[in-house]
Amino acid sequence: MNEQDKERLSLIPVLAESHPSHHIGRTALMKYMYFLQTLRGVPLGYNFSMYSYGPFDADVLSDLSTAEAMNIVSSTQVSFAGGYGYRIQPAVGAPRIKQEANSFLSKHKSDIDWLLNEFGGLNSGELELASTIIYVDREFKDLQVPSDAPLLVGVVNEIKPHFSRESVERSFDSLLGKGLLVSVR
Amino acid sequence: MNDLHRTYEIRCPVHGFISLNEWERCIVDQPAFQRLRRIRQLAWTDQVYPGAMHTRFEHSLGVMHTVSMLYNAIASRSSDVLKEDLGYTQEGLKRDQQLIRIAALLHDVGHSPFSHASEELFPENEHGRKFKHEQYSAAIVRTQLRDVIDNHPLNTANYGFRAEDVAALLEGSTNAKQRLFWRDLIDGQMDADRMDYLLRDSYHAGVQYGRFDLNRVSNTILAIRGTRGRGPRLGFSEGGWHAAEGLVLARYFMFTQVYFHKTRVAYDIHLKGAMSEILPGGKFPRPLDAELGDFLKWDDWKVLGELSAGRGGEHGKRLSNRNHYRLAYHSPEISSPEDLTFLELIKKKLGDLVVSIEEASKSWYKTGVTDIPIVSDIDPTLVQPLSQFSNMVRSMKANNQVLLYVSPEDSERANIIIRQEVENERTRQGTLEFDPGAR
Repeated sequence: MNEQDKERLSLIPVLAESHPSHHIGRTALMKYMYFLQTLRGVPLGYNFSMYSYGPFDADVLSDLSTAEAMNIVSSTQVSFAGGYGYRIQPAVGAPRIKQEANSFLSKHKSDIDWLLNEFGGLNSGELELASTIIYVDREFKDLQVPSDAPLLVGVVNEIKPHFSRESVERSFDSLLGKGLLVSVR
Repeated sequence: MNDLHRTYEIRCPVHGFISLNEWERCIVDQPAFQRLRRIRQLAWTDQVYPGAMHTRFEHSLGVMHTVSMLYNAIASRSSDVLKEDLGYTQEGLKRDQQLIRIAALLHDVGHSPFSHASEELFPENEHGRKFKHEQYSAAIVRTQLRDVIDNHPLNTANYGFRAEDVAALLEGSTNAKQRLFWRDLIDGQMDADRMDYLLRDSYHAGVQYGRFDLNRVSNTILAIRGTRGRGPRLGFSEGGWHAAEGLVLARYFMFTQVYFHKTRVAYDIHLKGAMSEILPGGKFPRPLDAELGDFLKWDDWKVLGELSAGRGGEHGKRLSNRNHYRLAYHSPEISSPEDLTFLELIKKKLGDLVVSIEEASKSWYKTGVTDIPIVSDIDPTLVQPLSQFSNMVRSMKANNQVLLYVSPEDSERANIIIRQEVENERTRQGTLEFDPGAR
């Protein structure tokens, strides 16, 4: 296990215990990793690409599986109306991996605090939407596509037509207001 | 011009006959696709399982066939979800089936020689992350295959798809829009790629580990409406949970018995080492317009020619002489922190004798545990994970095994050191039952 592996694994219990509810779900884990890497430049080495449920990298779930196998975190399945989710919490192996990645965690403590302050209150659907908007925005910037609000909102709405245009606009405005979009003039 | 409406059939050892239309046949005839005949699906796995000589060519045809089965099943069984949540019409669903077939056909066109084994030699992008073979596939679709996709009469008269539409699906670009939903069938947790390679690799390797009930899978797969504001996802109806379980178990068995077989992994090490000597600058050309032509010249034949000419350094010689590295020590499939600490101790004692360390969690064949949504037969609004139905899936954990290799010349010396350390550990623990690799 190299240093980056340890750092990625150590983040999982830290995100869970630092979250206001002291646990996170799988969607939150995926999107938090995406936000940390994309918005704060935390060097996690993930390679996200776009799916209908937003940016995704199977390596995040592989890391979660490894963290569960090593008792760094535990996942409990929780049911709710019409569906289910997971409650990821620190387990007995968490202190050890946190100790091993101590300098990384200290260096990025402000990034984690920022992340949970900005996104810790969003549910999984809202996280999917926000991360999709940011992904589209970054792709526009990389491809040097001239972008504006109607164009970006329109593309996101085409990817996620089950969201109303108003809810996409609300999420877009919120991200723009926080200065998190870089392609929009 | 050939008859545009003719259907062609190709025999497949896994699926029987695979049907292609004239447009698909034209794509298959392109040099960029024919190159896949010269890229083995499982690299040097034939050194362990001699039958495993199959190529990405037949796998790509198989994925197109499988994706059709799955797509048609979902479109027919879940048309309400697809219409209400993704805005599809019946006509739109029929149209997009053709696009998904072509994306599936071309999903591996960007593979490097000997498939995954040499991908670690892909260069890095502007963000400092390695390119992936999907990005090479997308780039080849946009360049070498653009004309046959954009301008084929079957396309222009009936669909109007662009090469960009195929590329966007392959690389996961936002240009794919609502069609991103289908990306899970091409590159996802329950994709046609995995379903085909498990069956095909199993068939050619001569093992039964990768077999599962594909017919039942396609008979029960469906689109599930998202909850809590999330989009739709793929899952299974309750009657299909044993088929879904079979798929998960097939993946587990194939990983432990074939993909992460100790000798197969050793040959991946040697191939990577030899290729880094053979490739100019030790890296493949980038997936950029100016470099793609050079990338496409690299196939298994070219590499074998280089090896035959004596190039590839020490690793090239080991490949040519079947004188591979030997597994000296491994941690258990599910390694605890204590197991990994003991492995570190062994590694330290072996010192320079360790020539390579390989981790299951880094394998191209992902080791994470998949949990699949299952829709209740009694209450269609109730969705539960497969792990709620299957005791076996519930108790599965990710494989985080670590393998330590030494050269064959040092194998005996390494064994003596390891035996001594195991004895010391038994004494420390006060037990004769300590067996570090067995848990």
